[in-house]
Amino acid sequence: MIVSAGALVLGATLALYLVGAASLGANLFLRRPALLVTGRVVAVFGALFHFAAIGLRCAEVARAPFVTPAESLSLLAWMVVLAYLVVEALWRLSAAGPFALGLAFLLVGGAGLAPHQVGGVADPALLSESAVSLHIIATVASLAAFALAFCCAGLYLIVHHILKSKHGLAWMKRLPPLVTVEQAGFALVALGFPLLTLGILSGIVRALSGGLGAGWPLDTKTLLAVAVWGIYGLYLLARLRAWPPVRTAYVLLVGLALCLLLFFVPSAAHRFVS
Amino acid sequence: MVGLSHQSAPVAVRERLAFTAPGALERALVHLKDALGERECVLLSTCNRTELYVAQGNNVAAGDDPDASTLAPLLARAHGQSDLPELAGYFTERRGHRAVEHLFRVAAGLESMIVGESDIVRQVKTSYAAASDARAAGPLLSRLFHEALRVAKRARTEYDLGKGAFSVGHAAVDMAQSIFGRLGGRVVLLLGAGKMSETTARHLSAAGASSVLVANRTFDKAARLAETLNGRAIRYEAFAPHLAQADIVIASTAAPHAVVTRDLVEGALKGRRHRPLFLIDIAVPRDIEASVGELDDVFLYNIDDLRAVVDNDEAERRIRATRADVLVHDEALSFAQTLRARETALPLVSSLRARMEATKTAEMARLAQRLPHLSPADLRVIEASFGAVIAKIAHEPTVKIKEYALADNGDEKIATARELFGLSSSGGAAAAEEKTP
Repeated sequence: MIVSAGALVLGATLALYLVGAASLGANLFLRRPALLVTGRVVAVFGALFHFAAIGLRCAEVARAPFVTPAESLSLLAWMVVLAYLVVEALWRLSAAGPFALGLAFLLVGGAGLAPHQVGGVADPALLSESAVSLHIIATVASLAAFALAFCCAGLYLIVHHILKSKHGLAWMKRLPPLVTVEQAGFALVALGFPLLTLGILSGIVRALSGGLGAGWPLDTKTLLAVAVWGIYGLYLLARLRAWPPVRTAYVLLVGLALCLLLFFVPSAAHRFVS
Repeated sequence: MVGLSHQSAPVAVRERLAFTAPGALERALVHLKDALGERECVLLSTCNRTELYVAQGNNVAAGDDPDASTLAPLLARAHGQSDLPELAGYFTERRGHRAVEHLFRVAAGLESMIVGESDIVRQVKTSYAAASDARAAGPLLSRLFHEALRVAKRARTEYDLGKGAFSVGHAAVDMAQSIFGRLGGRVVLLLGAGKMSETTARHLSAAGASSVLVANRTFDKAARLAETLNGRAIRYEAFAPHLAQADIVIASTAAPHAVVTRDLVEGALKGRRHRPLFLIDIAVPRDIEASVGELDDVFLYNIDDLRAVVDNDEAERRIRATRADVLVHDEALSFAQTLRARETALPLVSSLRARMEATKTAEMARLAQRLPHLSPADLRVIEASFGAVIAKIAHEPTVKIKEYALADNGDEKIATARELFGLSSSGGAAAAEEKTP
């Protein structure tokens, strides 16, 4: 069996994500600076390796690297890690690391198990269209931002519960401040929402240019994308209208469930094959 | 080391030998230096301990070690008192590696009344600097204190000995940071101008809280406190509207009933758009109705809650301190061994090198006699060449001798090496010189 360079680098990426998730997870319990630094450094290297793996895959198949289920899982994982690195750099939210890197590990691992081929031949003309690339990249990036926003919402609810109940206050030394996680969650949605809007609009533009038939508005992914757009729009509206933060955190939890559905649901209109 | 501490002496005893008054330490060092002659000394004096570290200088005869019976009265005299024989029972004495380990533990905060407190590091530094300025600390104590500070830093970093709350004020800051993160731009409202609320407000200001409002029944007192905190005094009767703008409220009035009611806070929350409100009630009886804590966005902590945080952190620090014990013990042992190795290895190495130098000098003299036609420049070249040969030959034995000195049976190995090189334990070089024709 011949293993491609891209697959080897992706294997190394998988290992790095596991080590990063384990280091940052252990740091949550043990609070050792060495574990924190290791986790952060490994996350950066993981993202770089992953970028290289995606690039190699691109060169290998001579097309955009998001046609097969395996490729789109890998792309999502990479963007989740990028979103985590941004969150870490801006808010020092290392508590989100085990979630982000653990999720990336699962997604890349899932990519290994997912089909590497699609039923059909990838359509180079379709994939070279900028509207299609923009549609996919913007949508996947928004989902990555929403995944991290989910993590922030979860952390918010945990921290809020501890501070209110006064039980497990020792954990507060390991967890980020309440206001910080709430602000980070909002910022991630504020970033993800326009990206999703861009993804949906570019998808509509492409669909209107023809070739998808008349049924695309009722395609499952299309409908779910609108639902996801609606729920995160609701979140932003609720935030602006000063809903209680606990309630808006629950909106983000529900939002991710819809995001998962959106990503994994099969769709006839989203097959980039001829 | 001879000294007393909170573990061995009550405060009534400790205060009689404290050198904490301005200039007292410097004056004592002058006195001690005169009395101890060639010996080195460092005097460490804090409110919890007075300890005198003494090291034998190079010119002090072996076996002439002072002990507690001589150093304790010396300390008393350095303090300007008589011998204080009634205090003799409170002194402890530690020698060799036990003294080293004790200093390492003290510097790391492991011997402090509040384990892990950081002030001790500054106090150890100050004590050493004072001794150094007074030329009371020599090379040995200089190495010891630098090493103690290095080990303290390592222990504190690796085991987070300085982390966690040390007081109710610290706990309030920790909780505020758990809610708000950075405290920059946060508004603190003080209800009551008591000592405890002042201390807590100071901690919060030091942590970044930018604005302090002080309300007290006596406005003048509020104004005075506000001035020291760079804040603003407000009328006590008019504090309610300020609740809406405050992020942190510290209540410590002497009122016999709650002054911050649920209705009051509910009213204040209306304009806050769910901005969290951290209420610290350190008054007894309590100033804030307990049911206020049930409101959304309100985090109410009373004195017991904050003490629980302090106690919990203290317990965690003690656990970490037991782990740091091992590190400090190993470091102290290693330092003591290195010191001992230097003591035993260096004389042998210098004897060996002195013998080689003497041999070289004698050989050069003989060469100059036998070959009179050699110019001084030629002789210098030959001498330099001999020197290089000696350095190369002596290198390996020097390394080995230092290794032997660190070994478990170091003394035995050093004795064997002496025998091998034909060097007696004293005056080896001189003997070598005598034997050289």
